[in-house]
Amino acid sequence: MLDAFSRAVVAADASTSVVSDINSLKQFIAAGNRRLDAVNAIASNASCMVSDAVAGMICENQGLIQAGGNCYPNRRMAACLRDAEIILRYVTYALLAGDASVLDDRCLNGLKETYAALGVPTTSTVRAVQIMKAQAAAHIQDTPSEARAGARLRKMGTPVVEDRCASLVAEAGSYFDRVIAALS
Amino acid sequence: MKSVITTVVAAADAAGRFPSTSDLESVQGSIQRASARLEAAEKLAKNLDAVAQEAYDACIKKYPYLNNPGEANSTDTYKAKCLRDIKHYLRLIQYCLVVGGTGPLDEWGIAGQREVYRSLGLPTAPYVAALSFARNRGCAPRDMSAQALTEYNALLDYAINSLS
Repeated sequence: MLDAFSRAVVAADASTSVVSDINSLKQFIAAGNRRLDAVNAIASNASCMVSDAVAGMICENQGLIQAGGNCYPNRRMAACLRDAEIILRYVTYALLAGDASVLDDRCLNGLKETYAALGVPTTSTVRAVQIMKAQAAAHIQDTPSEARAGARLRKMGTPVVEDRCASLVAEAGSYFDRVIAALS
Repeated sequence: MKSVITTVVAAADAAGRFPSTSDLESVQGSIQRASARLEAAEKLAKNLDAVAQEAYDACIKKYPYLNNPGEANSTDTYKAKCLRDIKHYLRLIQYCLVVGGTGPLDEWGIAGQREVYRSLGLPTAPYVAALSFARNRGCAPRDMSAQALTEYNALLDYAINSLS
């Protein structure tokens, strides 16, 4: 498992040279608290994100919860919720480390084959991941939809920066895209 | 590679939970200490060749027998290899400063080092002399800030300990 720092070291070691690009690491340090806020925003809302993403996936494809569907009976629905949480958890780890290696090694490696063997439909899984990607962006920007959340609206209330952590939103999005690419 | 962040992630993963507040706090602590480390890494990267050359010269001065025929510093090829080895140690120390842990030194420097030197018939005392010279050569604030120098010296001590 690597993080942003050890990734730089491994890359430098491949050419037997010192780590010369210190400035990008300094930026990682300078924006460190934003990153921690972003991780905290996802971790604090994880169970809600997971259940909403799976519910959204089922809303769009009711066949999943009818007899013969992949979210029927409860045992398989529970497995589905568990898997969505696992994927979100590894994306969160990757966001914390600033590197995708933990996601690749511990979550995505062999996931597609496992799902194929178990008969899990890829398109539905990808849809749930897409919903989680949008949710993660909203939580990192701290802009949950007021129209839809109503009385249950919850904001993290961290100090808002000018660009609403655009680079972190993009980075988190890239990890979700990695999951989607690995599944399809 | 072991660092504060990967240790935290590995522990959270073993327990199957999202990063907790205390996990994030320990990462934040490591981030706050990181600027000194990165300063030392930046300065060392800039001057690595000079630091290595001085350390090499000092150790040959201390152990002139190494220049005798058949010894480790006797031919031009051997001389170049000796200097290269010192550079390797300094480079690994720079990696450790970047990562914020001793992982690179442990994995790429220290693991197997004793066996290699024994089978090649190399003495470790000159390495200790070279790294000790570098250890005592650094000076704050001339070379880097005091905090950065502390981090740098601690890693040199770690490498010296592994060799002695």
